[in-house]
Amino acid sequence: MAALKYLLIKEVKQFKANPFLPRLAVVFPLMVMLVMPWIATMDVKDVNLSVVDQDRSSTSEKLIKQIEASHYFHLKTLNITYEEALVEVEKGKSDLIMQIPQGMERDWVNGQPVEIFIAANAVNSTKGSMGSGYLNNIISDFSTELSRQKGEVAAFPVKLSTQFLYNSHLNYRYFMVPALLIVILIALCGFLPTFNIVTEKENGTIEQINVTPVGKGEFIASKLIFYGVLGLFIFTVAFFIGKSVYHIAPYGNIGVIYAGAVLFLLFMAAIGLFISNFSITLQQAVFTMFFFMMTFMLLSGIFTPINSMVTWAQYFTYILPPRYFVNIMRSVCLKGSGFADLWFDFLMLFIFMAIMSVIAVVTYRKQQ
Amino acid sequence: MENVIEVQNLVKKFGNFTAVDNISFEVHKGEIFGFLGANGAGKTTAMRMLCGLSYPTSGSGIVAGFDIRTQAEQVKRQIGYMSQRFSLYEDLTVLDNIELFGGIYGVSKREIAERSEQLLEKLQFTSEKNKRVKDLPQGWKQKLAFSVAVFHRPQIVFLDEPTGGVDPTTRRQFWEMILETAHNGITVFVTTHYMDEAEYCHRVSMMVDGHIEALDSPQNLKLKYHAASMGEVFDLIARGAKRSD
Repeated sequence: MAALKYLLIKEVKQFKANPFLPRLAVVFPLMVMLVMPWIATMDVKDVNLSVVDQDRSSTSEKLIKQIEASHYFHLKTLNITYEEALVEVEKGKSDLIMQIPQGMERDWVNGQPVEIFIAANAVNSTKGSMGSGYLNNIISDFSTELSRQKGEVAAFPVKLSTQFLYNSHLNYRYFMVPALLIVILIALCGFLPTFNIVTEKENGTIEQINVTPVGKGEFIASKLIFYGVLGLFIFTVAFFIGKSVYHIAPYGNIGVIYAGAVLFLLFMAAIGLFISNFSITLQQAVFTMFFFMMTFMLLSGIFTPINSMVTWAQYFTYILPPRYFVNIMRSVCLKGSGFADLWFDFLMLFIFMAIMSVIAVVTYRKQQ
Repeated sequence: MENVIEVQNLVKKFGNFTAVDNISFEVHKGEIFGFLGANGAGKTTAMRMLCGLSYPTSGSGIVAGFDIRTQAEQVKRQIGYMSQRFSLYEDLTVLDNIELFGGIYGVSKREIAERSEQLLEKLQFTSEKNKRVKDLPQGWKQKLAFSVAVFHRPQIVFLDEPTGGVDPTTRRQFWEMILETAHNGITVFVTTHYMDEAEYCHRVSMMVDGHIEALDSPQNLKLKYHAASMGEVFDLIARGAKRSD
C-alpha cells in the first residue's frame, strides 16, 4: 500500500504542474453555476400578446390594463382584425392573440354569456400552453371581480385554491440548480480521469507503471481517490454558489447530499477509468464518454421529468445511476428528505458504484 | 553458470502475424546480453513478454526465478525496464520521478534521499533536480530513464534501444553507465540495432523475422562468419530477412 501514497503524490504534483486543469476546475463550476441557471429556464415570461379589441369599451380597456399589469405579458400590438394579428404571429413578433368580441360589455351587463377568443402560437408548446394558461387565469379573475362588483355570485362558484409545495414560487431555478450540480459532476468527474489515463497511455508512462509491481487496484485507487477529492472540491464550490446566489436552502441535511455526491462521483470516475481501459487514443475515449454523458443527462430526469418519458424509457432509467442521485439532490434540497426516505436511491447508487469500480479494476490489464 | 533468464520455445502471435517465432535462449547472471535485430524483427515483443507486459502465445520463460506467464507480478519486483519511448513523467521534475519510482518499488524514504543525492551528483544533475523532465535535452533524459530503471537495484535490467536518437558522445557515456551497472552485479538485457554497440556485450543474439539466427559472444560470431565487425556479421545473417524495412 506504500505505493498508493507515492501515486497520489504524483497525481497532485501532475495536477499542479498542468497549465490548464487547475483553472478548468475552478472556472467550469463558476461558469455553469453563474450563467446556466439564467439560461436553462422553463419559466415562461414576456409572452408577446396581440390584442384584437373589437369592443372598445371601458370594460375591455380595463381587462387589457390588467393583463399589462402582470409581468408575464408584453402587449405587442393592438390590431383591428384577427387577420392582422395573425400576420404578427407569422412574423414571429407575437405569441398569443386575444380577440375581444364586439358587444362584450353590453352582453356582460345584460347577463349574456361572453366569449373571449385566444389563439396561441404552439411552435414552442410550453410557451403556448403556459401563456394561454396565464391569460385564462387573468381573464377569469377579472370576470369574478366584475361579477362581485355587480353584486352577483360568481358565475363559476367553485374557486380553486392551489398551494405549491416545496417550491412555493414555482421558481424554475430551484429545479435547475441541483440538476446543474449533477451536470458538473458528470462532466468533470467523467472526463478528467479518462483524459488522464489515456494521456498516460499515449505518453507511454502507463507502461512504465505496468512494468512495476504496483497492483492494479492501487493504481486505480490512486486515480479514484484523487479525482474523487477533486470532484468533491468542485462540488463544494458549486454548492455554495447555489446557496449564496440562488438561495438553494437545502432543507435537508447537507451530509445526505455529500454522501450521495461521494457515491456518485466515484461512480463517474470509475466509468471514466473503465472507458479509458478500452481506449487507445484520446479521441476514442472522448467520444465514448460523450455517449454516456448524453445518455445520463437526457435520461436521468435532470432536465425533463422521468414520469413523462415513454414507459420503456422509464424502466431504462433504473439502470442509470444519475437517476438516483438526481432524486437525492432534489429531494434533499427542496423537500428536506433524509436517509430514511432515500434509502433505495442510496442503495442503488452504492451498488452501481461498487460494481463499476470492480469492473474498472478487473478490466485494467497490466499484461496484454 | 547461473541463469537469470531461461526461455523455451517462446511464441507471440498477433492474429496471423507471428512476431516472435519459437525462440529459446538463456541469459547468465551478471552478463550484458545483447538482443540484436533489425526493426520489426520481434525484439521489443520478446522483451515485453520477459517483463510481464505481454502474455506469451505459447512457450515458457523464467525470469529471476519466476514464471513470466503465471508469476508476472513477482518478476516485476526483480527487474528494471527502460522502454523504447521515453516514459518518465515529463511534467514532473527529475527528483519527483526518482522519488516516485523509488517509492513504488518499496525503497525506503531515507534510502531514496541518500541514493538520489549520489545519483544526481554522479550524473551532474544536482543543479537540474527541480527542473521538469521535459525541459532536459534528449541525452539527459535517456540517462535519467536508465538511472531510474536501476534505482531500486533490480536483479535484471531490460533496456529497449536505450541509445536511440542520442549523439555518439552520449552513447559512449551511456554504455559506460551500462558497463558499470553490470559490474555491480545487475544483469543487463539490451536490445539495439547499432551493431557497434554489440561489441560491448558479453554475448549477443541476432534476431531475424522472429527467429534467433545466431547466439554467441561477439568474438566467436566474427570468427564463425569470417567478419571484421559485428555489422558484417549482421549483414550476412540478415540477408534472408523478409520483414526488414
